[in-house]
Amino acid sequence: MNVLDVLDKDLVKVPLLSSDKKGIIVELVDTLVKAKGYSAAQGEQILDAVLARESLGSTGIGGGIAIPHAKIDVIEEVTMVLGISRESIDFDSPDGEMSRIFFLVLAPSKQASAHVELLASIARSCTSKIFRRLLEQARDSEEVIHLFME
Amino acid sequence: MAVPFKHIVVYIDGSESSMTAIMYAIKLAKEHDSSLTAVYVINTKALSELVKAGIFVAVERDEYQKDLILDADRYLHHAERLAEQKDLAIETVKLEGTVHVVVKELLKEKQADLLVLGGITDIRSRREELASETDRMMRTAPCPVLIVRDDDDIWFEFEA
Repeated sequence: MNVLDVLDKDLVKVPLLSSDKKGIIVELVDTLVKAKGYSAAQGEQILDAVLARESLGSTGIGGGIAIPHAKIDVIEEVTMVLGISRESIDFDSPDGEMSRIFFLVLAPSKQASAHVELLASIARSCTSKIFRRLLEQARDSEEVIHLFME
Repeated sequence: MAVPFKHIVVYIDGSESSMTAIMYAIKLAKEHDSSLTAVYVINTKALSELVKAGIFVAVERDEYQKDLILDADRYLHHAERLAEQKDLAIETVKLEGTVHVVVKELLKEKQADLLVLGGITDIRSRREELASETDRMMRTAPCPVLIVRDDDDIWFEFEA
């Protein structure tokens, strides 16, 4: 599994409007909940799982990227929400750089293999500084999709 | 290479298309009187990449490694049950590493005549890092490769 397998226009939000780490995570989860029609209770469960993972250590990986993620059986298949912020957000990245590109990755517990492969695919996709810059400058979700499909 | 095939290897990764591939491979092995090996690869390369990139913390890596082993056992057991339904002996192999690399080694070691893979996706991006492991296996296999389209007919025929 790779990024293209899960990239969905309805699960891309540009721009994100929140100005802090928790707000960004909430906004990404809300995008998923609205797109997939999850209930408020399911949304809460997803948010709790992502915040619990975040409490183990930040998922800001440097280079302006953060990949909050969690295993959660509320969802049925590996899912990714991609958000771009115009504002730089402090995500406690190891390089001290602020983040503007956010991938929320969720997977049911019985799809560990696909979950791991997707996370690795995101990490590989974002190694190019030029690609990261282009993503940061994307005007809307269609442009984000186009960048990955090029 | 032998025709009809003497030793078939099928790669499974838990995806629906790889489940179709195992059914097809079982039917093929039965008809050709071939031996069949099902292989599942625990993608430790991807796990290492995640730790290196700082996406996984140590405790998380250990937890996911256990999950991946459970995934492997579950899907290989499923392959055994499917083969049993058709009264076919099957060897299951659980490997660790970079998927296309260890599968290539296995094909050589087994002197396999054929690698059976689940459906490959359309080329959607020129970006090499977005190529799937199935694509890589198809390109690097030292033997003929059969790509099985994920088709309901195969499921119906297998169950018949």
